[in-house]
Amino acid sequence: MIESEKLADAPVERTASDGDGRVVLSARDVVVRYGGVVAVDGVSFDVKAGEAVGLIGPNGAGKSTMLASLGGQAKAAGGSILLDGRDVTKLSAYRRARLGLLRTFQSTSEFGDMTTFENLVTAGNGFKGASLTSVVFHRKENSRSDREIAGRAWEMLERFDMTHVANAYAKELSGGQRRLVEIMRCLMTSPKLLLLDEPMVGVAPHLVEKLVGDLCAIRDEGISIIIVEHALEVVRALSNRVVVMSFGKKIADAPYDEIVNNREVQDAYLG
Amino acid sequence: MFDTLISAVAFGVVLASVVAIGSMGFTIQFGLTNMLNLSYGGVMTAAAFVAYILVSHHVSAWLGLVVGGLFGAVMTLAMGVYVFRPYARRGAKLFELMMVTLGLGLVIDYGLQALSRNNIYQFTVLQSAPIHLGPVVITPTQVILAAIGLAVFIGLELLLRLSRVGKALRATAAEPSLARSCGIRTGRVVTVTWLLSGFLCGLAGVVYAIDSQSIGYSSGQTFLPLVIAAALLGGAGSPSGAVLAALAMGIVTQLVSALGQPAYSQVAGFAVLVIVLLARPGAVGGGHNAEAQVTV
Amino acid sequence: MGAWEFYITTLLVYFAIDVLSAYSLNLQFGFGGIINLSYIIFQAIGAYVAASVSLGPDTGANAFQTYLFGASLPFPLPLILATLAGAVLALVIGSFGLRRMRKDYQAAVLLIVSLIAWQVVSSDTHLFNGSNGVTGVGRPLGTTLPLSSLGYQWIYVVWTLVICAVVYLLVRWLSVSPWGRALRAMRDQEDAAISLGINVTALRLQVFVIGGAIAGLSGGLLVEYIGAWSPGAWGYAETFVILTAMFVGGNRNYKGVVLGTLLVPILFLELPRFLPPFGYPGLIDSLEWVVIGLMWMASLLIRPQGIIPEKRNLVYAGNFDGVLRGRSMSKLSLRRTQKAEAK
Repeated sequence: MIESEKLADAPVERTASDGDGRVVLSARDVVVRYGGVVAVDGVSFDVKAGEAVGLIGPNGAGKSTMLASLGGQAKAAGGSILLDGRDVTKLSAYRRARLGLLRTFQSTSEFGDMTTFENLVTAGNGFKGASLTSVVFHRKENSRSDREIAGRAWEMLERFDMTHVANAYAKELSGGQRRLVEIMRCLMTSPKLLLLDEPMVGVAPHLVEKLVGDLCAIRDEGISIIIVEHALEVVRALSNRVVVMSFGKKIADAPYDEIVNNREVQDAYLG
Repeated sequence: MFDTLISAVAFGVVLASVVAIGSMGFTIQFGLTNMLNLSYGGVMTAAAFVAYILVSHHVSAWLGLVVGGLFGAVMTLAMGVYVFRPYARRGAKLFELMMVTLGLGLVIDYGLQALSRNNIYQFTVLQSAPIHLGPVVITPTQVILAAIGLAVFIGLELLLRLSRVGKALRATAAEPSLARSCGIRTGRVVTVTWLLSGFLCGLAGVVYAIDSQSIGYSSGQTFLPLVIAAALLGGAGSPSGAVLAALAMGIVTQLVSALGQPAYSQVAGFAVLVIVLLARPGAVGGGHNAEAQVTV
Repeated sequence: MGAWEFYITTLLVYFAIDVLSAYSLNLQFGFGGIINLSYIIFQAIGAYVAASVSLGPDTGANAFQTYLFGASLPFPLPLILATLAGAVLALVIGSFGLRRMRKDYQAAVLLIVSLIAWQVVSSDTHLFNGSNGVTGVGRPLGTTLPLSSLGYQWIYVVWTLVICAVVYLLVRWLSVSPWGRALRAMRDQEDAAISLGINVTALRLQVFVIGGAIAGLSGGLLVEYIGAWSPGAWGYAETFVILTAMFVGGNRNYKGVVLGTLLVPILFLELPRFLPPFGYPGLIDSLEWVVIGLMWMASLLIRPQGIIPEKRNLVYAGNFDGVLRGRSMSKLSLRRTQKAEAK
């Protein structure tokens, strides 16, 4: 019942492309417990193709845990998570990633001792190319796909204006560049949905705007985004819709401008 | 059959008290500094050799016990200050520090091999007549060792719960940066922990030598698996956990031994750890890349 | 002259076998990030299995020996079985020892496995004859080849070096393959690797088993050469010699580990033979171990990446192919790109 209500009042103001309104991810009554603490308490929401959803709330509201339960890093004790209509609640994190549910982490997670280029190629190989059987038994196809992936990786570097650091070890990059590497890495796998956990942490202030622009472009290509972010101007610029959490529960789900005038949300933030 | 089991349990308790002393020392240091100190076995052997030298010069074994403990304390502190701390200052993380302790363990073990001429020495403490307790035949020395284990446990618990040092230690173990900002001098707490852990380590080495009546350069190394397994099983930083785990392992080990498979007794003890690993992987720490903080 | 030639050939065989070990450890640690402190038990099981299946039936000539199978399989079979034994043991130990846990815990668990395996095999005489070990393992094709004993030495040198080269090609090919990249990704950031769809549990087990197989092979080669194997040959500390070689020479780099093997187990451990003997017998051995420990600690302090560090796969718009096959850019083209970048 709640579901249909939400679907009804979720405004679809897509900026470009992909207007079918197909639901990519649907979380239903998700519950996550840590020991005795209920970190996420029956949260439900949907994300449509090409839609960016901001997940906000005061500290300790359970946003990151919610994200982890979607990504598979935290086990859901109740409820279900559907990706493209398929129940992925019981799948482990790497299996969800294979279905197109990709995530970044709060602390940057670049492969530090690999070059930027290798970071992208690794992601582009994906799980299929990286399996031992494929390496051993499909050598021809592999070398063909290697070339194709390398080409794509280079295009990706050009698109995000990162060709000059292609040879640099990822650990030598700046905070903003590392974020970009993470995001490019996700894009190399042709994802359906990106889960971004505080992507602006460690990014130099003057680069935030550029990164937001990049994220908007990704969204407009039809890739859905769920973003947890403290900087509300980022959420505002990027998201079509905002889900507000407080004490593990969802308290609002509406476009950003409606949210700021919502009494309950104001109370939650003011404590 | 029943009698065999009963006496196996009794010997298990004796073994457990020896293991427990070692793992209590291991676990408080591990709980506080977060560093897996694999040179612990080497210090145990070194302390036991110090006690052996005293005993062979007709000093009482019980005095040897205390001196061995003190030696362990000083040696551990010296290692902490002159080896581990410099590495930590240069940015060594948990894993690198563990590797350093391994290298140091190698140096100590084979240094002792060189000094001991690679011989195994008799470590005999004056034996009095064995005591018969129903089916169990136990020597007074073994009873005393079990009592020492118990006394160390009670003493350590009291120290941790009641004294200022103990409280500071627990606070630092739980949240190093918070403790520091609350005015606890963590450097001093670490020093105290090294002394305390080293003392227990030395004590464990001597007690093990008394119990097995022999000592060689690899004594500590053969004993180390049980000590570490008990400490991991009991949970980092928890002396009571270590004691319970040591009891479980001691008894399992001796039961398997009594059932006629002495070669597999340690395997059985280790199997307990493996089962816990399989059943509750969370019990032994978080993810692979968990970069917990080192306090050295 | 003959004695010298004999000595040199023996060293070369040991060198080849140590290089095999270093390759195995380098694949596991340098690329996969797993520090296998129980390496030596995989070599040991290879040696024991190769010995057991080639000893032949009990003739009563050696009263202290237990003969496990009474089999004497023809030439390559013992080696193949040794390789398989290493792989199977790795599968068994990996299934619990590689669970997702803190890296230092994992190292401790593997070290404990090594210590306990040693104690068990030493004290259980039904298992590979306890601390006495097995002796009298015949050399492969030793009777069929019409060779002098020196000639056979050289043949064995060539044989081990050929195996070494084949294994090198294999591990190098694996480590520059997409599988190898996934391995390095797991080493650098496990959580991120998982979230890119990489099944790290399988990956860890795979690299452990491949390393175990190489270890088993090296054990088989070793026992067929020296003809005997006992717990004295595989104390837990033996693993540290190879690991020290790897750290000194440069883990993550195959040239580096070969250099390290040359420096540590060959040059350093053989040097004392040429020194005048001092102290009681055995003192030099003990001191060697002390120095190995010191080298280990020093390499961690001074140069953790080793003498030859990991190769940086430089790439520019035109050379993807080369990079993906593991070829670095030539110095010349590197300078050219750097100039271009500077502009």
